[in-house]
Amino acid sequence: MVSLIIQRTLQLVFLLFGISFLVFSSMHIAPGNPAAVIGGPTATASDIEAIEDNLGLNDPFLTQYARYVGNAVQGDFGYSYQTTQPVADAIMVRFPNTLKLAVASMIVAVIIGILTGLISALRQNSWLDVSATTFALAGISIPNFWLGALLILVFAVNLQWLPVGGMSSPWYTIDGIKELVLPAITLGTGSAAMIARMARSSMLEVIRADYVRTARAKGVKEKNVIWIHTLKNAMIPIITIIGLNFGFLLGGTIITEKVFAINGVGRLMIDAIAARDFPMVQGSVLLVATLFVLVNLLVDIIYTYIDPRIKYD
Amino acid sequence: MKKHWLVLLAFFGILILSACSESTIPEGAEGTSGGDSSSSGEGGQEIIYASTTDAVGLSPIMTNDSVSSSVTEQVYEKLFVRNPETMEIEPMLAESYETPDDLTWVISLKEDIEFQDGTPFNAEAVKYTFDKLRDPETAAPRASLLEPIDEITVVDENTVEIKTKYPYGPLLAALSHSNAAIVSPTADQEQDLMQEPVGTGPFKFASWSIGDQVVLEKNEDYWGGAPELDRVVFKVVPETSTAISMLQTGEVNFLDALPTEQISRIESIDNVEVTKQDGTPVYYLTFNHSKDRNQDPDFRKAVASAIDRDAFVANLNDLGVRSDSILGPQVFGYDESADTAGTAYDLDMAKQLVEENGYGDEPIKLLSANRDNFILMAEIVQSQLTEAGFTVEIETMEWATFLDTARSGEYDLTFLSWSNVTGDGSEMLYPNFHSDNIGASNRAQYNNPEFDKLVEASRTSIDQEERESILNEANQLMLAEDAAIVMYHGVVTSATDESIQGLQMDPNGQWSLYNVTRE
Repeated sequence: MVSLIIQRTLQLVFLLFGISFLVFSSMHIAPGNPAAVIGGPTATASDIEAIEDNLGLNDPFLTQYARYVGNAVQGDFGYSYQTTQPVADAIMVRFPNTLKLAVASMIVAVIIGILTGLISALRQNSWLDVSATTFALAGISIPNFWLGALLILVFAVNLQWLPVGGMSSPWYTIDGIKELVLPAITLGTGSAAMIARMARSSMLEVIRADYVRTARAKGVKEKNVIWIHTLKNAMIPIITIIGLNFGFLLGGTIITEKVFAINGVGRLMIDAIAARDFPMVQGSVLLVATLFVLVNLLVDIIYTYIDPRIKYD
Repeated sequence: MKKHWLVLLAFFGILILSACSESTIPEGAEGTSGGDSSSSGEGGQEIIYASTTDAVGLSPIMTNDSVSSSVTEQVYEKLFVRNPETMEIEPMLAESYETPDDLTWVISLKEDIEFQDGTPFNAEAVKYTFDKLRDPETAAPRASLLEPIDEITVVDENTVEIKTKYPYGPLLAALSHSNAAIVSPTADQEQDLMQEPVGTGPFKFASWSIGDQVVLEKNEDYWGGAPELDRVVFKVVPETSTAISMLQTGEVNFLDALPTEQISRIESIDNVEVTKQDGTPVYYLTFNHSKDRNQDPDFRKAVASAIDRDAFVANLNDLGVRSDSILGPQVFGYDESADTAGTAYDLDMAKQLVEENGYGDEPIKLLSANRDNFILMAEIVQSQLTEAGFTVEIETMEWATFLDTARSGEYDLTFLSWSNVTGDGSEMLYPNFHSDNIGASNRAQYNNPEFDKLVEASRTSIDQEERESILNEANQLMLAEDAAIVMYHGVVTSATDESIQGLQMDPNGQWSLYNVTRE
């Protein structure tokens, strides 16, 4: 276990170097000049030149990259070209919102997904199974922006049970929970559908295994057969899907954040890309990459609990 | 083994919970005091405005975007301001001015005004602000606004003298631009005005939770008398449709720049009042004048006569004004005669020109930014040009790439727009079409020495009547050449909760909340 963590941490360092170089170079290769965006359409050539000088954009590419990395290893991720605010501050203000949203939608996704998958597998080919599979298909197919807008119209505008958008209250208060409900359902539905499909197929596979038949033959109660012998063994692929989805959600969910006016990392990143705000893009991508690696590490560790045969040492 | 995973799981759990609980510190990382976004406010009158993006910053010197200026316009003031009704330039922080010669502007300032931090407003503050804006080291995005200024001298406490390098007619218009607002010199030296603004305006800065909302509160000591509103919230709601839902539920009270496709939905909401007013923005199709084919007058005429602008404007739900004139009805230098001075829609003539000259053989690259009404314009123009026999390929791109591509002239035809904050014709024609600005803001790459001379004359004369006539001449010259084809002139819009009274909209799209009350 310890060696796994050390190994992953070392990998992370190399990964971050690689990613930072890729992002840095792709932002420089991409068309569009940050100085022109700051100046806007009204800026003259001299305005733009002055801004470029000020941002150090006229230095050679490698000088700029070395400067960036030199500062970053000391914990200084630079300042936003647009707002002149420290990148780390800008990200840390938004990350809690993204994390809240990711956790809330994963809760929705895991509960709905596993229950649906389980029922569907245990009642294979029944009307319950057909409804659950239809739900899963719909969940994957419905675009987030449409579902979000629909939920807003029904629950916020017409019924007025929940707020339209925003995320300003602490998550443990009633207002905070109310703010999370619609975005979490919007975002969680897609993941729930994926988890449900995976849970169904994985359960169906395990339920036919010899040891399950043996357990039943030995007279083990059906409840125990399902919860202890089947579900736990079916969890490996489900956990993989949950981990991947969670990692993905932590990277910010641009559409849901936009529809529900949530000040999250996804919106920060997309705005930064549009404005060619290189330091901000760089900082956000590094954060997302780190989180993705950590979540995957967590998933690997959870495997060892679910299936003690898996060992890393 | 089990213990190991339990410890790790607990560790990750704590990490997640602690990160979640960080959000309970209201906007702490910014050092702001946070804010309640409820429409009830804290006992006083409050207004919540929603915009699709956040302000870039709160210093008029360092920003050049409309959302930032929506905020700075309430916090700072300028020496002059254009009266939105008469369109005349009137003193604001200035008391009066005189021009002893063509190069000298002596401006007397209003007395006994203080910035929100207690610093006195005086000639030193004016000199400090303008020198800072002009200083190349500042790298201000609109430094060019004051480029014609040679020197600023403090004559006495309340008088400042501005010397220009050459006679400069639009100086007062430039001084009425939101980027020329006067900042507190003390505050600028002590703090970052991008984060904590200090001006002389009716509202003062309270907090900014970046990416979420800016909060202003009333300036009790405002020299013109304190405003009625106690608190103003500028909330970021990136999705327009969500902002409209919030307007409907009362979570926000004021939206502006309403999109064409949503106007009927907004108008159908009870308790919401929509206002529309002719504005200064102009949206036009331009040729890339550096391309050989575009220098053929018949080619430009064929394009102009193939585009049915009346039909296009009819699709805008009353959010566009039809006129051929490049300088719109709300812009200084406009003359009614220019309304129909362009090439009229005549499909038969367009077809004939295309056929005779083989214009349809080589495809036209129609470049469009993927924002606002640009895609709509591109699709309609593509279909109309195709009907006339042209072959048109649309290329769309996001804003930053578009700005660069258009600047470097990698297109045949493109759509451009200009909001014209000063409302002065020279401020439209010089940056967009004068050859000095090719490679920068003259994205049309237009290069016409005769036109250049007229624009220069419009800038170097300080006789406003003469300027008006010269601007009209330059405008008509461009129309006669089909140098650009105006699709429409913008309409400035707002949607407010009907409890809001006294909102003053400017034709350039900016607004003042000073006289706003809620009933």
